[in-house]
Amino acid sequence: MAERKKMSVSEILAAARAQAGGGEAAAPAVEPAGGGAADAVDSAADTPVVEKPAAKAAPKPTAGGARPSVADIMAMARANKAAADAPAQSPTKSAPKPTAKPAEKPAAAKAAKPVAAKAAVARDTASILAAARAGAKPGPVSKADAPPRPAKPAAVKPAVAADHAAKPAAAKAVPPRPAKPAAKKSDSEEDRRGFLEIALGSFMALGFTALSVTGGLFSLGLARFFFPNVLAEPPSRFKVGFKEGFPAGKVETKFVAQYGVWVVNSDVAGEQQIYALKTVCTHLGCTPNWLEAEQKFKCPCHGSGFYKDGVNFEGPAPRPLERYAIRISDDGQLEVDKSKTFQEELGQWAESESYVTV
Amino acid sequence: MHSNGLFLKDVAGFLGSYYTGLAIMNAVAALILWRKKGQPGWAVTWAVFAGVMMILASLALSGSESLVPSLPLSARTLVNTLSGPMLYTLGTTALFTVLFVFRRFFVQPMAAWTVFNVALVLMGLSMADENFAAIVMKPDNVPIVGLVFLLAFFTWVATKQAVVNDDRIRQGLPPMEKLDDEKVLVWPDLVYTELICMVAVSAFLLVWAIFLPAPLEEPASSVKTPNPSKAPWYFLGLQEMLVYFDPWYAGVVLPSLVVFGLMAMPYLDFNKKGNGYYSIEERKFSYLVYQFGFFELWITLIILGTFLRGPNWNFYGPFEYWTPYKVEVLNNVDLPQMFWVNLLDQPLPRAPQGAGTLTQIGYIFLREAPGLALLGGYLLLLPPLLAVTVFRGYFAKMGFIRYMIMANLMLLMLSLPLKMILRWTLNLKYLVSIPEFSLNF
Repeated sequence: MAERKKMSVSEILAAARAQAGGGEAAAPAVEPAGGGAADAVDSAADTPVVEKPAAKAAPKPTAGGARPSVADIMAMARANKAAADAPAQSPTKSAPKPTAKPAEKPAAAKAAKPVAAKAAVARDTASILAAARAGAKPGPVSKADAPPRPAKPAAVKPAVAADHAAKPAAAKAVPPRPAKPAAKKSDSEEDRRGFLEIALGSFMALGFTALSVTGGLFSLGLARFFFPNVLAEPPSRFKVGFKEGFPAGKVETKFVAQYGVWVVNSDVAGEQQIYALKTVCTHLGCTPNWLEAEQKFKCPCHGSGFYKDGVNFEGPAPRPLERYAIRISDDGQLEVDKSKTFQEELGQWAESESYVTV
Repeated sequence: MHSNGLFLKDVAGFLGSYYTGLAIMNAVAALILWRKKGQPGWAVTWAVFAGVMMILASLALSGSESLVPSLPLSARTLVNTLSGPMLYTLGTTALFTVLFVFRRFFVQPMAAWTVFNVALVLMGLSMADENFAAIVMKPDNVPIVGLVFLLAFFTWVATKQAVVNDDRIRQGLPPMEKLDDEKVLVWPDLVYTELICMVAVSAFLLVWAIFLPAPLEEPASSVKTPNPSKAPWYFLGLQEMLVYFDPWYAGVVLPSLVVFGLMAMPYLDFNKKGNGYYSIEERKFSYLVYQFGFFELWITLIILGTFLRGPNWNFYGPFEYWTPYKVEVLNNVDLPQMFWVNLLDQPLPRAPQGAGTLTQIGYIFLREAPGLALLGGYLLLLPPLLAVTVFRGYFAKMGFIRYMIMANLMLLMLSLPLKMILRWTLNLKYLVSIPEFSLNF
């Protein structure tokens, strides 16, 4: 690009004029140099005039070796430049070199690309431009270019050999040539990548297997969290003190914050009992407050109210508060067991575990 | 009990700017009306009103108990004693009825402006009361105050358009929306509008966040429930519903039915009119049912839950102190109790000791027979009965399935206010009460 810009107007004009004088023959000669291998074939097929020289010249560089050295390429590039600068001089003289060069370029492209290809292409861009401006065949971008292209970057050793062998034949009948190396190259490509695919494929399979196994184990691990082996709760059995600490008619609220339980000494059906009420509203699970003045438990969420014995009487709570198990332990203290609850509506308050008689 | 002195000093600055704002608002309104030259009488009225507001502002800024404009104590006490959930619900229903019946009067801009000003002045006067201010000015309740005014405004706009359209349709003219397709170009009109709105709303929210800090509380604890414990404001209608029903019904079934009903609406609607324009006359039934469900059963319940429900979820008047020791006798009784014990004077049917499961279930059905019969009659007999009487035309147009869905949705919606009324009047807790299986209705 930069090269193209550097060309002055006068240069372009000169090139154009030369082009006009030189005739069409110069165009294909110049063109392939910039367009690369594909174009060489293309233009050769297009213009029979150049075909012959190209065919004659073809053996020359290829005979020099399958892989031209960097120096060779440089030389060719320079020759190209010369051809570009004076395309009119002699079509037969300048043409062979560029056409020959693309012929072996597929082979060279990979090996010498960084240095040679770049230089050659860069220099030739200018001449292409000149040719294009002169109204010659436009740049190498055409549909016919497409098939051979993919083959170009994939040029490897076996391909070069094939190239080599195919060249004389190509000189006589150019069009079928690009197909062959392309097919062969893609074959070799599959061979190489095939290995990778097998390896990667199995790695992939391995990876996904590992992933699913890990995922499964992880889910199991998560499920394990539902069954913690340590409960971050106070023990479900705890002692609340001696019977004497709970005078008749009193609702002891000091265990609410730690254990969530009211210990009540009250008259139930003519019998003085001590029982432990669970501090969870049977409506939606809020913690009611004990209102001493009104002698009732009152829930702040939806206004459910419970008598001192835990029976619901106002608001939406559908059933009485639940009782925890309570007993007199060996040392004479009252012991509440939160692992067991007793529900009035199921008739469980009659069970002896649910209260302690005073 | 609660001295007003300190409170009034605190609130004086706010009230002063509140009344000043009212004065500026009305002065601008007067100026616009004067410029229009249509209603000079109204222009003068609002100019005078603005002057009165300036006087109120200066009085409020004094911060002294004798000068700050407020409602007389007797009026406040009267409001407190009169207010209760029953009166509140009946009052809002009556208010909506009046607004609906006389909508032609209220859609006039000057009538609406007067109502708006009266509401604002009443609010200003009420805010001189410590208990009222404590509720209304609480940071989480401020949006609901805004919601009341916003809803009123948008309902008013829609009603106005509907009234205009109804008049035009009666005269054989197309509705207003058909004349002006309200087309707006995306660029630049819409994008610019959106940008301006975005900036304005961001600025507003920023100012709001600075002046009304989030009401953060202590860390949560499973054994400590704040009193009163309130849901987010948009769920307060739901929380109020939960007071009257078992959790599975008010918390699961009814909300699902609300969503289901809203989704079913377009399929139940056979009225092709009123499509793409506001109209009340052309779809009176749909309009009334929707407004009843939205205003009565959702918005007023949110307002009730926010402003009138205090500690222990008791009902408090707007000027009442929220004492957690308020005693309210709510001795609720289930229907079986009423029927068997109070009416027939015999004990509740109870399975004999050691009876099998089936026998127990049989006894439960016997015990709940009156409630089940009532419920079955309500949900199974009433729809066909309505189909041959009130909804005969609807039944013919909708067909059996659509009509049944509509009728049942409507009856279930009405079950909420009916249950509320039964609770307030008869202290009825549940029609069907089967705590053995956590089934109550």
